[in-house]
Amino acid sequence: MTLQEQIRANRWRTLWLLILFALLVGGLGAILGFAFNLSLLIVVAIIGFVYAIFSWLSAGKIVASVTGAKPADRAQYPRLYHVVETVAIAAGLPKTPPIYVIEDNAPNAFAAGRSPQTAYVAVTTGLLNLMSERELEGVLAHELSHIRNHDVRLMTLVAVLVGVVALASDFLLRISIFGGGRRSGGNAGLIAFALGLAALVIAPIAAVLIQLAVSRRREYLADASGAEITGDGEGLALALRKLQLDTQETKHAPRAVAHMFIENPLNQASGIQSSFRSLFDTHPPLEARIARLEEAGGFHLAPA
Amino acid sequence: MIALIVLAAVAAVLLLFLVLTFNRLVRLRNEAKTGWANIDVQLRRRSDLVPNLVEAVKGYAAHERETFDSVTQARAAAQQASGPAAAAQADTVLGGALNRLLAVSEAYPQLRASENFLALQQELADIEDKLAAARRYYNQTVYRYNTVLQSFPAVIVARALGFQQREFFETEADARDAPAVSFPQP
Repeated sequence: MTLQEQIRANRWRTLWLLILFALLVGGLGAILGFAFNLSLLIVVAIIGFVYAIFSWLSAGKIVASVTGAKPADRAQYPRLYHVVETVAIAAGLPKTPPIYVIEDNAPNAFAAGRSPQTAYVAVTTGLLNLMSERELEGVLAHELSHIRNHDVRLMTLVAVLVGVVALASDFLLRISIFGGGRRSGGNAGLIAFALGLAALVIAPIAAVLIQLAVSRRREYLADASGAEITGDGEGLALALRKLQLDTQETKHAPRAVAHMFIENPLNQASGIQSSFRSLFDTHPPLEARIARLEEAGGFHLAPA
Repeated sequence: MIALIVLAAVAAVLLLFLVLTFNRLVRLRNEAKTGWANIDVQLRRRSDLVPNLVEAVKGYAAHERETFDSVTQARAAAQQASGPAAAAQADTVLGGALNRLLAVSEAYPQLRASENFLALQQELADIEDKLAAARRYYNQTVYRYNTVLQSFPAVIVARALGFQQREFFETEADARDAPAVSFPQP
């Protein structure tokens, strides 16, 4: 596929996943309304809504403190500033995002913030040491694509939805175990109750799986649009290959923010991955990402 | 009655299409305008830098008058160029003149060692990278805008509302970068 086709395909896949998510939340609500009290459902919905607003508002700030990112000094990192400013122009961002540096030998980078106006990028010192200027450009084009495509907003939204589903399921599960719910109506009522319970157990897992699928989709999209921004998919592919060969774990990258980095900061031992395990990955395998860039750009890297 | 409803529905769909197309065209046009503003910023930065660069070289190589003149003339022409296509052409001329200036400076070791000159050279490199980036973005936005403008049925709306195609910002370097196809002679 060409870059344009990849970009379009990834947008569609995201849309489908979001529709799936809406169906999940709606289905959960319907089953609960049927199996339990309707007023309970309203209480849960209100709690979920408040929770969503709270995590939405605090999302950007938490990431910087959790990862230990500090504002980069222009005099100390002139090359980084040059590259970020250049790529921001090429991406057509309204302004150059603030730049943060993380003291860490593991090469990695992430973008955070709710909108292109408030977003920022962070890179580790390990990344700066490892990458050539061309590769650094590729990495930052990938990160700024996340900003331009509003991925941070999307992923925060999805994370909030996952939280709401988990919270609602947990809440209702407790209530149904400790009495409550209406259990009149004989056999049919019992079946409905059992179905409701099953839905409560499955829903949070399904929500997380959809979340991860969306995350992987957005990584492919950021690769494709990053390559489009710089017009140099090979530079990004070379950077990904270097990340693949490096096996250090990023120090301060808890699972909650893992999806924001350019590669999974929690390095699994590379090797044969079962397709079941890959369901739980925030990022597609680097090899697959490189292959897509190769296909669109018509080049071939030396095998790792 | 039914005919009336159908008519109303058709009118509503048409209106919706009109509004959506108009908004899309405005958004794309604004993106292109932003893209052009980005180019303009870098062109102006370079225009401001050129006199300083000439002065710096003059201090060590006063007799290279011809080179200085061609740079100064190219700068004046670039400042007067209006519209992307003309600006791109003037930009190419200025770029060539600046390259000659830098080539001349190679012959003066003292000049090359001067901190002022090094800083100016670095800034010029920074400007050229950003200019290239801004050009890429601008040309992409123009491509998208023009494509929508030319495609049916948006073309009808665009014509009626006076949307104009935009020029690309293409330097000769773009033409030169295109692969030269040559066939071996028998």
